[in-house]
Amino acid sequence: MTTGTPQLVISRVFDAPRDLVYRAFTDPDHLAAWWGPIGNSLPRDEIEFDVRPGGFQRWTEVNASNPGLRVRIHVDLTDVADGELLDGIMHVSGRLPEGIEPFETRLRVEFHDEADGRTRLEIRQWLPEHLAHPSAEGWRQAFTKLDATLTNVHAVATDHREVAVWQS
Amino acid sequence: MAGTDQLSAVFSALSDPTRRAIIAELAERDATVTELTAPLSISMPAVSRHLKVLESAALISRSRSGKWRASHLESAPLREAADWIARYRRLWDASLTRLDAHLAAVQAAGPATDRTADDPGEPE
Repeated sequence: MTTGTPQLVISRVFDAPRDLVYRAFTDPDHLAAWWGPIGNSLPRDEIEFDVRPGGFQRWTEVNASNPGLRVRIHVDLTDVADGELLDGIMHVSGRLPEGIEPFETRLRVEFHDEADGRTRLEIRQWLPEHLAHPSAEGWRQAFTKLDATLTNVHAVATDHREVAVWQS
Repeated sequence: MAGTDQLSAVFSALSDPTRRAIIAELAERDATVTELTAPLSISMPAVSRHLKVLESAALISRSRSGKWRASHLESAPLREAADWIARYRRLWDASLTRLDAHLAAVQAAGPATDRTADDPGEPE
């Protein structure tokens, strides 16, 4: 599976202790309370977690605004460190939105202590393998440049600042 | 949104650092094979091969007028690729905003949580 540079990197600080943020990802009742966009919900009897290296997290997503959708998520956990790390392959299938085929994506979530008891979440996501075979490096840089490029296509001078435009 | 096949071709074309360098160059101006080869440490035939890949992914077009065939960057497929990433970013942003609210609610409602950084947490 993808081991190169992730195409999506998100870093965000939460005003909560690390163990609580970790539980928000690993406790079924917690995850069901926040996962997905507004209107998204996870039927409680279809959530099954076995959080450990080699374990899994499975759930179904439905959305009140679109009763036709029924998204099945199966995460095969490859690497787990209690309170610190979740890394695995997320398999997305079921009745998906128009134009979306079932796919797999590697997802890595790290939980770091910040000052004042806050927690920094580091999320990395890799594109589905059928969409990309990224070389071992340069993706982030490439997309940073592309973003800068796209907003300046054919401008007289394209500014290639290494600003991570698509990184929070 | 482009079809998966086109997107796949775009990402595959962009997976090579030389081709990304060529794209960056073409973002500034149209250029001939000779002009594109100059800053690179590879041969002109190699650059031509990269241009063929970029062309088949519709990332560039090449003028057929006159003696010098200039390559021109087509921004639409790049935009598609960037959109794909952006869509996932938006999904995360929506979720994480809800997570923020959830964490605040849990801490406000529950028994006082130990706020020390070294709290080992509860066994699952």
